[in-house]
Amino acid sequence: MSGYLGSYATLGILLVVGVVLFGAAFAGNRLLRPHRPDPGKLTTYESGVDPVGGDWAQAEIRYYVFAYLYVLFAVESVFLFPWALVFARPGFGTTTLVEMAVFVAVLLLGLLYAWRKGVLRWT
Amino acid sequence: MNPVLAADITLPHINYGAIAPILILLGMACVGVLAEAFLPRTLRYPVQVLVSLVAQVAGLATIIGLALSNYAKKPTLTAGDALAVDGPGLFLQGAVLVLGIVATLLIAERSVERGGAFVAQAAVTAGSEADAEQARRQPSQTEIFPLSLFALGGMMLFVSANDLLTMFVALEVFSLPLYLMCALARRRRLLSQEAAVKYFLLGAFSSAFFVYGIAMLYGFAGSVKFHDIAVAAISSGKSDLLMFIGLAMLAIGLLFKAAAVPFHVWTPDVYQGAPTPVTALMASCTKVAAFGGILRIFYVAFLDSRWDWRPVIGVIAVLTMVIGAILAVTQTDIKRLLAYSSIANAGYVLTGVLAMQKDGISSSLFYLVTYGFTVLAAFGLVTLVRDQDGEATHLSRWAGLGRKAPVLAGVFTFLMLSFAGIPLTSGFTGKFAVFSAALGGGQTTLVIFGVLSSVLLAFPYLRVVVLMYLQEPAADAPTVAVPGALTSAALAIGAIVTLLLGVWPSVLLDVANSAAQFVG
Amino acid sequence: MTHVLAHPLAGQVLALASPGAMGTGEKVAFWVLGIIALGCAIAMVAARNAMHSALFLVVTMFCLGIFYIIQAGPFIGMAQIIVYTGAIMMLFLFVLMLVGRDVSDSLIETLRGQRTAGILVGLGLAGLLGGGIARALGSIDAKGLEQANATHGGNVPGLAALMFTRYVFAFEVTSALLITAAVGAMILAHVQRNGEKKTQKEQSRERFAEGNHPAPKAGPGVFAHSNSVATPAILPDGTRSARSISPLVEPRELTAEDTRPKDTLTGGGNQ
Repeated sequence: MSGYLGSYATLGILLVVGVVLFGAAFAGNRLLRPHRPDPGKLTTYESGVDPVGGDWAQAEIRYYVFAYLYVLFAVESVFLFPWALVFARPGFGTTTLVEMAVFVAVLLLGLLYAWRKGVLRWT
Repeated sequence: MNPVLAADITLPHINYGAIAPILILLGMACVGVLAEAFLPRTLRYPVQVLVSLVAQVAGLATIIGLALSNYAKKPTLTAGDALAVDGPGLFLQGAVLVLGIVATLLIAERSVERGGAFVAQAAVTAGSEADAEQARRQPSQTEIFPLSLFALGGMMLFVSANDLLTMFVALEVFSLPLYLMCALARRRRLLSQEAAVKYFLLGAFSSAFFVYGIAMLYGFAGSVKFHDIAVAAISSGKSDLLMFIGLAMLAIGLLFKAAAVPFHVWTPDVYQGAPTPVTALMASCTKVAAFGGILRIFYVAFLDSRWDWRPVIGVIAVLTMVIGAILAVTQTDIKRLLAYSSIANAGYVLTGVLAMQKDGISSSLFYLVTYGFTVLAAFGLVTLVRDQDGEATHLSRWAGLGRKAPVLAGVFTFLMLSFAGIPLTSGFTGKFAVFSAALGGGQTTLVIFGVLSSVLLAFPYLRVVVLMYLQEPAADAPTVAVPGALTSAALAIGAIVTLLLGVWPSVLLDVANSAAQFVG
Repeated sequence: MTHVLAHPLAGQVLALASPGAMGTGEKVAFWVLGIIALGCAIAMVAARNAMHSALFLVVTMFCLGIFYIIQAGPFIGMAQIIVYTGAIMMLFLFVLMLVGRDVSDSLIETLRGQRTAGILVGLGLAGLLGGGIARALGSIDAKGLEQANATHGGNVPGLAALMFTRYVFAFEVTSALLITAAVGAMILAHVQRNGEKKTQKEQSRERFAEGNHPAPKAGPGVFAHSNSVATPAILPDGTRSARSISPLVEPRELTAEDTRPKDTLTGGGNQ
């Protein structure tokens, strides 16, 4: 358990433990709980009224735009990490700072555009 | 961090002067987005048109300056060898911008269709009450201008990228705005959105092939630089198989953008559905960019292995010319007809490219410019023939236009004759240049197929001419809109260049000849 | 993790010990995850329900992320998991929730035999590529990533070195790509409101304007057999009032079973 992959063994063990714990909890639940199936239990509860139509409600497209803005900055952070690691090296500072600033500024332009178009206002 | 490990990394020298045209375009595109965000609605249109035209004219002036200051003769690599500033690169960048300016004139036109050819708010459901309302009242979305600047900037980067990674990023930068612009038509919005989705899905698919090809070539050469791939192709004793898989995948991605058979299926639908000014932009500028990339990859990275792959691409060229011509004959819609004609024309450029010698480069460059101007003018004229549903693109609706609008029919006839390759038009000189280059390069078979398909392709063009002059107009024949100043300018430039390069081709051919030297 | 990578010897020892060769653990992980990844990729294409497809895609992309980590590219692996399985899959799911999760693929082929032909051609291409690559890889001397990682003191600094030297222009231009996508998403998805929102005063004026009905609308279920929001009110003249239910709700005809008085003790339904 040494070397490169060894450092991931902990993570792997943690994942396995998580899965086992999850399975154990549900299995325990299954063993302990009473089991009396009834079709009434499977219907959707709608304030005591018989449910009408399907249970799918159309999601608003605004969620999509927000999610996209998040993706934009998630991708940006992928570039920021390597930059942060080498930023302090001699000869790297100012130039890379400016380069990164240009990159982030262009992305911020997107956010600015979204703000001015009223995308960020929910109501 | 351990100082021993912090191996010296020298930041690359960037020759900002040499890449200024690309920076101007992309920078002004950002200014356009900023203007879109902060200017009041009424000011946006004039400012955006101004920003867009100023950016392109400034870019063009810079390119001419670079060409005159001997960058064409003494090419350089810059930004860590990622960008090549050489003759073909500058010529293609200039071509993209010259054609882009004319296309921008068509995009900016607002008097032919009241409010412009683009939808006011693309997010409003097509066919809804709000949609009808905005179609009547509101002017076009002005985001189209920064988007077109991004597209043009991406194309300029694409033709001067010197490694596959930069080329791929450039490919995406110019494709994405085009996908978007296709969806923004004011009339027949569902058709337009369908075109955008088709273009986007197939374009993404072809990009995936391109990336896969990059991976293969990296596996082969251990680098994505064109020069290193060329060196690896000669020197390595290892199997060429990876290289050919990579080349095949790259070629799929590039030939898709160039609309070569069998990667052409998107073309008619997208050209038909997209707003006509955007179709004009795609038919002219995208074609220049795609063939710019093809030229650079074939002539820099794969020149020495040409004996192996030239027959395969030759088959594609023949298929492109023949199938494009045959399918053009069967079309009944003028935009689809021009789409198939653009497919066949991709085959002619490919014939020039496959000459694989210096005049192959120069003739392809020349052909791209001649075709670009003619096709811009042709699509510009298509926007003028209108009825109450917008553009009347069905061929039967064009019957008798010669009597109703003699000037329009006259110009259109001239453009059709140029497409058909009649002497004294740029279509003739362009075809002459690529075919003689291909003959010089030993591609006789290609030239035979090229001439045969040109004869075949003349038929649909002349059919339109006959239709306009020799048939009676229908009772509800479409009207011909009076072109505004911008469209008139675009049409005049397109038609005059078509004539000029037909009568006096050496003006441009000499420039193309002196530019035809890649740096590797 | 970082200090293991950053350690000068760790990388070199690994590189010396196994230039490109796979260890047992790596082999096991590859075959297990490879099968899962491929199976889920096929299931993604084959699944009828779009939501199932999306979830299969999550598994495939997660497996790819682990592959990257195993191949000594921890950063790209983590980025794959965070950006792709996280952020981008979220976008996919929003789109699916927008389109409707019940929408399944149509089984009707517009071109006859297209599906079969597509599968055959796809298999052919896969065979051709797989065969070609298998043959070509024999002559490639894979070096593994350890050596490259050691040069700049780690995986991520190595990436940064490339990003700011050879590919600095590509990196900067990526921002143009991202902003185009952002502007595009907003053009296609966001309807800008024209003017300000109506004030309460304006709404009140509108309500009492000539020809409008100022009184509250009849509630759903008033004078009806059921108090469901889907049951329209019955007006005094016996007609159903369309004003009483939301235009989004499908009006509902009640069966005798629905209107039958239900016994609270037995729980209704199944008698």
